[in-house]
Amino acid sequence: MENFSYLSVNQKILGTLSRPRKIYYFVIALLILGVLCGAACWAYQITMGLGVAGYVHPVFWIIYLVNFVFWIGIAHSGTLISAILYLFRAKWRTAIARSAEAMTIFAVMIAALFPLIHLGRPWIFYWLIPYPNQRTLWPNFQSPLVFDFLAVSTYFTVSLLFWYVGLIPDLAVIRDRANGIRQRIYGFLSLGWIGSHNQWHHYGTTYLLLAGLATPLVVSVHSVVSWDFAFCVIPGYHSTIFAPYFVAGAIHSGLAMVLTLLIPLRTILRFEEIITIKDLESIAKTLLLTGLFVGYSYIVEQFMSWYGGNRFEHDIFIFRVIGHYSFMFWLMVLCNAIAPLFFFLKKVRTNLKSLFGIAIIINIGMWTERFVIIIGSMAQDFIPYQWDFYSPKWVEITITVGSFCLFFLLFLLFVKLLPSVSIAEIKENLNPPMRRQQVKNQSYIASEHSKKAVGYVGRTL
Amino acid sequence: MIKVWKHTQPPFQYNIKANMKDKQQLLGIFAYLDDLLNVLKALKEANQPIETVYSPVRRDEIQEAMGLKPSAVRFFTLVGGVLGGIAGVSLASYAHLRWNLITSGKPILAWIPFVVVFFESLILISVLFSVASMVLKGRMLRKRLPIAYDTRFTQDRFGILVSCTWDEIGKVSKILEESGAEEVHEIGQS
Repeated sequence: MENFSYLSVNQKILGTLSRPRKIYYFVIALLILGVLCGAACWAYQITMGLGVAGYVHPVFWIIYLVNFVFWIGIAHSGTLISAILYLFRAKWRTAIARSAEAMTIFAVMIAALFPLIHLGRPWIFYWLIPYPNQRTLWPNFQSPLVFDFLAVSTYFTVSLLFWYVGLIPDLAVIRDRANGIRQRIYGFLSLGWIGSHNQWHHYGTTYLLLAGLATPLVVSVHSVVSWDFAFCVIPGYHSTIFAPYFVAGAIHSGLAMVLTLLIPLRTILRFEEIITIKDLESIAKTLLLTGLFVGYSYIVEQFMSWYGGNRFEHDIFIFRVIGHYSFMFWLMVLCNAIAPLFFFLKKVRTNLKSLFGIAIIINIGMWTERFVIIIGSMAQDFIPYQWDFYSPKWVEITITVGSFCLFFLLFLLFVKLLPSVSIAEIKENLNPPMRRQQVKNQSYIASEHSKKAVGYVGRTL
Repeated sequence: MIKVWKHTQPPFQYNIKANMKDKQQLLGIFAYLDDLLNVLKALKEANQPIETVYSPVRRDEIQEAMGLKPSAVRFFTLVGGVLGGIAGVSLASYAHLRWNLITSGKPILAWIPFVVVFFESLILISVLFSVASMVLKGRMLRKRLPIAYDTRFTQDRFGILVSCTWDEIGKVSKILEESGAEEVHEIGQS
């Protein structure tokens, strides 16, 4: 990025907001179709009842909850990159933070849909909201489900505001280069930003404070989600490891999704000079670290189930390894703990195809992990008489696919409507234009010209 | 060559009784940061009030040169956090006292789970206060951009808006030109 100037940064990044090619519209149309299919299946489920999904006693938390936990996990990495790495002054976050934050917001939005989809009567979801009402009912603030509502809504609000505050100077850049209705819309969204010293002063403090406030949310939100399970008594759920286990897994899956999104984005938008291989390598190294955490968690869980002496807990972990869902378990171990080990090799860390491939594998593995924990534990709890095994039906599979389509649709819209790389932060990392540097460059160029002239003359002579 | 634009006619064409000490504003546009910092220094030495410094990027050098105090956003964030925490615990306590859920001898007001409610509401309200104070203190939410604003300030140009009287215009213009201003504009009466 050393060759960039402030002007070229504007031109490069704003160039991505121009009219897209036909393939873009085709992909958007496909994704909208996927979303509509998912929505139609949900409407069918509401009309016909939850029986059309694969619910089978005792498994009453099916892949809707798997998806909920999966998408909340995806969201965490965005906040890790944008907030936590900002506090650590990690320069490699600059080019990827905006896209990662957008991923967070879209992932939280989709995650928030699944508790509604999972409800038999989704039209009364608002009973969970604490407000004075005619029924004189209040939610139970000791319940992890209420914690979930508070944590996820707080996380969404904070992530949205953090993302938006970072966008304000960039919206002003677009406003100043747009005309017509676009200028009005971006002008409204930029809140009258003029880049005065006063505004930059308060902006800098606010951004730092928001980063500091969003950081504990990375740990707290997924800990709260994990307590949906840990507060239950079912073997396989009732474990104190769940909070750090889920948080580590969340960051692991989120980083993999960041790579899944950024590698095509970088290639298609020609951001090779902005999102460098070194940035992607840094993500790969972090993935290696979180992969080791997750692998360690798997080993510790197994060990503690035996060491704790709880027969039911021990049995559930044996069932995971050799039972009905053992294929999912081994797929999970392979994808989450073994596959990231390839990132020990620099050749793998710096190759785009291997980075993308391993990221997809980790995404699959992390979804599978949630399946093994949530469904595997519920299928075989204390009483063998009531054991039964769940298989997804077409309704929940279509809704799951629809949620993925919605995520990618929102991300593609974001890439075309808003700058996917932070203009202001990229400029902050560049050397500012200095007259003395310009004079030095010109005298260097002049001296090089004169050297060439002397050499030419010398040769001629 | 320095271009000078006059955005308004001199006041003596409209108001013969105009006071030569009425305030005028000069906007200098710079391409280089070191020129901007030099002119800031020169204007401070000449005791000229600097209204605004525009820049396309946040620079610590400009903040230091302007001698700004720590932002008051911090205070509003703290207030929001305290209020949010209290509000969260109050809501949970009121809800549990109003609608008792008596389960297995557990306390009606259980402070351990209320820590989660306290924490989440603290973060939420402090963030809302923080953003609101940034918008208010930064004087954002304008209907119109200031007349002195140039769209190049979001691109690659720096600007400085200086207040002066009519008889100081020459002196201030000279300071701006000598410090390397590409353009100097007279903005109008402040």
